[in-house]
Amino acid sequence: MTLEKKRILIAKPGLDGHDVGAKVIALALRDAGAEVIYTGLRRSPEQIVRIAVDEDVDMLGLSILSGSHKELAASVIERLRIEDAADIKVFVGGTIPEEDFETLRAAGVRGIYTSEMTIESVIAEIDSQLS
Amino acid sequence: MSDAPPLDRRRISRALTRVANAPVAEVLAAIGDSKVQPAFRIGITGPPGGGKSSLINALVQERLSPGTLDTLAVLAIDPSSPVSGGAILGDRIRMDAIADLPGLYLRSLSSRGARNGLCDNVVDLLTLLEVQGFDEIILETVGVGQSEVAVHEVVDTLVVIVPPDAGDSVQTMKSGILEMADIIVVTKADMPGARRMASDLSAVLNERSGRSVPVLQTQADGRGVADLDRAIDAHRNSIVENRTEETTRESRRRYHLRALADRQVEEALRANPEITEGTLKASYDRLLATLRA
Ligand SMILES: Nc1nc2c(ncn2[C@@H]2O[C@H](COP(=O)(O)OP(=O)(O)OP(=O)(O)O)[C@@H](O)[C@H]2O)c(=O)[nH]1
Ligand SMILES: [Mg+2]
Repeated sequence: MTLEKKRILIAKPGLDGHDVGAKVIALALRDAGAEVIYTGLRRSPEQIVRIAVDEDVDMLGLSILSGSHKELAASVIERLRIEDAADIKVFVGGTIPEEDFETLRAAGVRGIYTSEMTIESVIAEIDSQLS
Repeated sequence: MSDAPPLDRRRISRALTRVANAPVAEVLAAIGDSKVQPAFRIGITGPPGGGKSSLINALVQERLSPGTLDTLAVLAIDPSSPVSGGAILGDRIRMDAIADLPGLYLRSLSSRGARNGLCDNVVDLLTLLEVQGFDEIILETVGVGQSEVAVHEVVDTLVVIVPPDAGDSVQTMKSGILEMADIIVVTKADMPGARRMASDLSAVLNERSGRSVPVLQTQADGRGVADLDRAIDAHRNSIVENRTEETTRESRRRYHLRALADRQVEEALRANPEITEGTLKASYDRLLATLRA
């Protein structure tokens, strides 16, 4: 139970309505001992950041399939900074082409988890980010 | 809404995390005997999936409407997994309509193994919110069965929700939690059976107990919720008249002490596994000695 008492927000920004992947990650994190807050679909970056701050999460996962991952991630990270919450680590999951990894990392994204990765390796990476 | 300063969300949420994770000694130091203005506390309890979060979503819109309160905090508890200790905290999903209200602070909590529908440090967290100056607090319990009545000890007004599909009304009436209710709400009033459930509950409860408990019907879209809002205020006024501050303080203090003692025992057992060895009497003496040390 390495993620015991860790609080993690799984958020779905943007317009796509598919949240199976987000739910799979949420359950796997719970099974690793984390307290997972789930936002539901279609939240704006403002809303996501307010939730992250209110819930005092250690980590914020953005599940994005719509293709606008670069804009959404940058906007969330920028707002976290404004709210004095830049210590909340951001990761991105979904369909992310490899050529965008660099840009996302430069914007401050700490982890990029695509559907090619196993759930176990995703959880292990999140765990190492948080310990 | 007045021109109250905006909530310092970052500071409030950090303080809650600190208290939620601290050992008892630290909690006592943190919330100690700070003389705080108690906030009016509303509890919402009822079976899993009964419509508690959806009701809070509609109720908060009433309670925070212009010209009423400035600030309101919601604590929403969901169950932890008995296997991993982790939790999915999903009450928020139903609270879309209130998510952007400036006067609202909403925090999801895991029950962290507690089996009474609360989490074992809920009183510490409620107290901390009072220290932060919230005008009112709404507490959503875990979806509970018939016997999780602890919430009654920590709130001023207890709303018990009953969905129309909760079985027949006789089954509902066995539930100990109904006897604790200050207000009963039949949720999902758009579903068949709601009116019947409400009239049965109202007839039987008010016939028998001699005290009159309002039985209302609500819907997630807000229908009926203005009535609930008024019933809550009426109950609030009646306790101001009938219950002395001393009585409330006394019963809350007892509950808080029991909760702290429980946690202290838990901490002692975890830190000293040898306590449980030997006879029951020897174990018990060792436990007491550890607590005294
Ligand atoms: N038809 C109908 N469905 C409702 C109503 N209110 C809630 N529901 C549905 O009931 C389900 C549970 O609603 P919630 O508000 O999450 O119930 P809850 O009591 O908070 O659930 P837990 O916190 O999981 O115990 C959801 O699918 C809601 O959409 C209503 O007024 N009418
Ligand atoms: Mg709920």
